[in-house]
Amino acid sequence: MSAMIINARTSNNHGMVAGTSVISHAVNVNTNYLSQAPQPGSRPEAPMVELKGVCKRFGSLQVLKNISLSVDKGEVVSIIGPSGSGKSTLLRCVNYLEKPDSGTVSIAGNPVPEDESALNSARARVGMVFQHFNLFPHMTALENIMEGPVQVKRIPKSEAKEIALSLLSKVGLSDKAGAYPRQLSGGQKQRVAIARALAMQPDVMLFDKATSALDPELIGEVLQVMRDLAAEGMTMLVVTHEIGFAREVSDRIVVLAGGQIAEEGRPEDILSAPLNQRTREFLAKILPPTRV
Amino acid sequence: MKESMVSAAVFIQNILPTLLRASGVTVKLTAFSIILGIAIGTAVALMRISRSKVLSGVATAYVTVLRGTPLMVQILIVYFALPQIGLRMDKFSSAVIALGINASAYIAEIIRAAIESIDPGQMEAARSLGMSYGLAMRRIIIPQTYRRLLPPLGNEFIALLKDTSLIAFIGGEELTRAGQHIISATFRPWPVYITVAAIYLCMTALFSFVVQFGERKLLQ
Ligand SMILES: Nc1ncnc2c1ncn2[C@@H]1O[C@H](COP(=O)(O)OP(=O)(O)O)[C@@H](O)[C@H]1O
Ligand SMILES: [Mg+2]
Repeated sequence: MSAMIINARTSNNHGMVAGTSVISHAVNVNTNYLSQAPQPGSRPEAPMVELKGVCKRFGSLQVLKNISLSVDKGEVVSIIGPSGSGKSTLLRCVNYLEKPDSGTVSIAGNPVPEDESALNSARARVGMVFQHFNLFPHMTALENIMEGPVQVKRIPKSEAKEIALSLLSKVGLSDKAGAYPRQLSGGQKQRVAIARALAMQPDVMLFDKATSALDPELIGEVLQVMRDLAAEGMTMLVVTHEIGFAREVSDRIVVLAGGQIAEEGRPEDILSAPLNQRTREFLAKILPPTRV
Repeated sequence: MKESMVSAAVFIQNILPTLLRASGVTVKLTAFSIILGIAIGTAVALMRISRSKVLSGVATAYVTVLRGTPLMVQILIVYFALPQIGLRMDKFSSAVIALGINASAYIAEIIRAAIESIDPGQMEAARSLGMSYGLAMRRIIIPQTYRRLLPPLGNEFIALLKDTSLIAFIGGEELTRAGQHIISATFRPWPVYITVAAIYLCMTALFSFVVQFGERKLLQ
């Protein structure tokens, strides 16, 4: 266990410092992980995330139409689809930032509660990473990460600081503990944002186009952190336009079109032999012609 | 000519201590009214942006009435009309209440605008960590408004400081009233009012300077 953690940490640090060593280390993490994680295909009792018949409308616009989706513990599911198809709304329904009009959302078998304070603690168990980072600008990187544990979980500051420091090192930013968000690059901000979400020890991590606001050369470092998380067995729901990442990392791809699940399945099936017309149209738009 | 200027200078020197003492009352009035204004203004701002229709409706009505009627009338109501329904206060308290409540309407709008100018993503990020609405407001949203609040609040405080002169009309012994007393005894309105105006100017200039200094501090 400890070997794996140390390994994962070094991998991260190297990954951030020198991009070239990323791959070999990432492979290391993977093998170590496989030796003691639940076997692929083994089904734990309840799905980690389960949506049943979720509908959501904004005024006259029906954004989500009867969405049912289940994500197992440790599974990585990528959600792709055209802009406006409801991907963000779907993610936001998972932690009730948006309340579905009908249908149910359950986390680890527990329906998301209606009661306000129970809802807050339910949200604390679902980490969310946003396209525009949404770091708290008046706090340092370290304070951003400590905020949840200290204010929500009421963990003593010294303990929260240790957690935050180890998370910073996990995302390769130990040297940025005292930096304010405005002093960080986009990639660094997003890595702090991921660490901030992880500090709550969530059961699930939601990523909403986490790399789409980044300069191309900064995307890799964030994807690497996400890859490592996936390898550690984190349950992840990832809205992304990074098809390569979706192909490589996800166990399943869900194609959302017009508020409905157009298609879902293994990445290789969806991406190389899409059955659905809307999937094909969407992939044709975002993939280089040679790869479609 | 030269003689009259010398005599004016001597005259001003003589009345200055009285006027400065009265300025103390003006400053005190301003300070207490600001505190009251911020306390009520913050509450009203939070009511206005709350999801409760009743709370935001009450807050909107409050702001509309106070901004839509003259401050002078509000002062007269507090000082002359309230005692008739059993709310008797000394002049200073009525002045602070009238000025503070009036300022609270403007301050509420300033605070509301500042809160609404914060990226909604901040609230979402806070909520996604499991924070309650109140905690997110207190820890994440409100602290980010300070820098944006300072310039408009500074203007509001300067306006409030000048508005304290209206208290002269209910006999409050502040700077303007002190000047009027001197004039009725000496019949020399020119040097008195010029001195009074100069003292107001010094106070507002000093205050602007403090606000700008604070702004620069907060910008760092
Ligand atoms: N809070 C909201 N109010 C009104 N319309 C919204 C709101 N959020 C999203 N929408 C609309 O719902 C549709 C789906 O949005 P979204 O879930 O953000 O799509 P995606 O993330 O796939 O681009 C869009 O047409 C968007 O304009
Ligand atoms: Mg979106």
